Amino acid sequence: MRAHYGKATAAFAMVSALTLAGCAGGGGDSTAGGEGGSSCEPSSGPVDLTFTTWVPGMDKVVDLWNKENPDIQVKVQTGPNGNSGTYQNFFNQLQAGNAPDLGQIEYDALPNFRVQDGLENIAACENVSDAEDQFVDWTWGQVTFGEDDAVYAVPQDSGPMAMFYRKDLFEQAGIEVPTTWEEYAAAAEEIKAQGSYITNFPRGDVNWFAGNVWQAGGQWFSNDDEGWDVNLTGEESEQVANYWQGLLEKDQVSTLPSFSDEWNASFNEGDQWTWISAVWGASTLATGAPDTSGKWAVAPMPQWEDGGSAAGNWGGSSTAVLKGSEHPYEAAQFALWLNTDPEALALANELGGLYPAAKSATDLEAFSGGVEYFGGQKIYDVFAEASSNVDPNFTWGPTMTQTYTDVSDGFGKAIGGDGTLMDALASGEEATVESLKSQSIPVKE
Amino acid sequence: MTSSSISPALAKGAQKPRRTKTFAAQRRAVLLFIAPFAVLFLAFYAIPIVFAVVQSLLTVEREGTFGAPQEVFGGFVQYQQVFQNTEFWRSVGRVVLFGVVQVPIMLGLALLFALLLDSPLLKGKKFFRLAFFAPYAVPGVIAAIMWGFLYSPTLSPFGLITSEVNVLSAELVLWAIANVVTWVYVGYNMLIIYSSLLAIPTEIYEAAKLDGASNIQIAWRIKIPLVVPAIILTGVFSIIGTLQLLAEPQTLRSFSSAISSTFTPNLAVYTTASVPNYHLAAAFSVVLALATFILSFVFLKATQRKVSQ
Repeated sequence: MRAHYGKATAAFAMVSALTLAGCAGGGGDSTAGGEGGSSCEPSSGPVDLTFTTWVPGMDKVVDLWNKENPDIQVKVQTGPNGNSGTYQNFFNQLQAGNAPDLGQIEYDALPNFRVQDGLENIAACENVSDAEDQFVDWTWGQVTFGEDDAVYAVPQDSGPMAMFYRKDLFEQAGIEVPTTWEEYAAAAEEIKAQGSYITNFPRGDVNWFAGNVWQAGGQWFSNDDEGWDVNLTGEESEQVANYWQGLLEKDQVSTLPSFSDEWNASFNEGDQWTWISAVWGASTLATGAPDTSGKWAVAPMPQWEDGGSAAGNWGGSSTAVLKGSEHPYEAAQFALWLNTDPEALALANELGGLYPAAKSATDLEAFSGGVEYFGGQKIYDVFAEASSNVDPNFTWGPTMTQTYTDVSDGFGKAIGGDGTLMDALASGEEATVESLKSQSIPVKE
Repeated sequence: MTSSSISPALAKGAQKPRRTKTFAAQRRAVLLFIAPFAVLFLAFYAIPIVFAVVQSLLTVEREGTFGAPQEVFGGFVQYQQVFQNTEFWRSVGRVVLFGVVQVPIMLGLALLFALLLDSPLLKGKKFFRLAFFAPYAVPGVIAAIMWGFLYSPTLSPFGLITSEVNVLSAELVLWAIANVVTWVYVGYNMLIIYSSLLAIPTEIYEAAKLDGASNIQIAWRIKIPLVVPAIILTGVFSIIGTLQLLAEPQTLRSFSSAISSTFTPNLAVYTTASVPNYHLAAAFSVVLALATFILSFVFLKATQRKVSQ
């Protein structure tokens, strides 16, 4: 009896102590290592790393590395898409001081992680800074923030945008495949007359909308030493917003939540004739709409100016070494291998549909042949062309999750007939400035 | 049997010289029995609440464009933001409207089902009791996914209706959620009211029957007044549940474009925490908890006064 009581008291004391310690740890020791780029030494002895990603099949790719590097074993943890949960997990884990060594982070979320002091600067790690030439220019700009002596992640893949379209339906209906946005709107009307939609307007994919603004030459954010400039309502944003507002008002685009079962069904049943999307959309379509195999084709994005060739980018990720990793050297070596090794890139494409940010990738077999789902078309030629037409200078804001949510809420209202897409951008801009201020991030007004 | 097993213990306790020792042992035993609860209560209830309050009083400071964040004491800065946040208060208004409509409907149905189960006229009571209660065994998220498919304009088996009346649209989606919540919780509330009905002594009904009361009169004049405390209890549970709506709207977001990230107060907290702005999220939570407490308290006081009158 006595012994039990003693144990219970001990257990009680321990639990309280642990919980309290957990609370105290939550404060975040943010003073340590602002400039992590100064030194990066290999660890002695075997190293275990953890890597969180949502690319399907990444565990198989990592198996290749584990076989060749018995002393640096990497364990893969999978999570939901970044904004659907993994980023929140990362932020929570960073706060608690137990984040994985490596994490997949999209380019648009990198500034957010940097502002939260969640990234290790791996510029000083062997081979990292020299890797610049191996990656598509704009992706390198995204991971360095354009600064010297700074590399916060290794580019993984990119998402140059183009137009997927139902070749068979356009041919049957005798409608020309649109090359400009004006033609696209005209086609939308004809397609609606046939009882289908030209495409779906995705309320939730504000990064898709940003890709369209990117194509039009707009910029939502910029920063210098003074602080951030937030401009969601520039001329180009307005142009894009008004364009889609018009299609929405005429009910010529559907408004299904994207990537939902309903959305898949709508593509599979031929209700959607086009999808303006990124290169990774090819595998999304193939798995979501298997019945339409062989009927799709890819063309460059419609243009604002006749004869133009501008492209936007939607998505694309990097492999970042998260703050608090005990083995940044090994983690950086793994990240470099993962995103430059030809065998790894080929497998990541085969299993996960990644379009690598490494320049060498265009030589891979997977990107030179025809794709059956697209009737044998060499679709990656179109995307490689698009990739070279993406404006290399595009800056993301430091609270992108919040910006996306606020704009997306506004888009939802606009779809329901309350306000317009432009109103949504205006309120999103206001909310973003508010959010930056509340976190003491300097804003220029 | 009971008396014989207790009496030796009593006899032992009554022995004078051992009294203080027994008292200490008793205290130890009490502590031992309380400990498991106390540990869990402190670790998962009291400490998190204190932690949330502490977090809500902090704010972030940093220097320069990419300066590292520093947490400093900010007083009521976060609370000021809470009260200026129109979307948050709109979400509170939304769930209050939801509660005013949905809770009476749900509890009305629960009472009706409980009375039917208790009525002598009904055959197959066991089956109906299980049937009404079954939805509660379905986790809220699963229920929301299932209803999401039923509501969907294109995927629903009732596509003919749902493609005409889009219940997932901005105007109707709140009531679509109300329907899911009602479906899940009617059985649960019914069971609470039903068990309270079972506790009523049958002699009362016999007396009423002798006085010539019909079944409906018995239900209206005897059963309902006697189960009012149970109804109040379910009312308090429902008010708390309504203010804390999260799983259903969150799940239905993948079916409907009309559910914003701040649709309910808890969803707003969740969204704010993912920014990540933990301090503001903590302040939202504290305000929400206080509001829930006050509303439940006011409801209890108001109904108790009525009952005692």
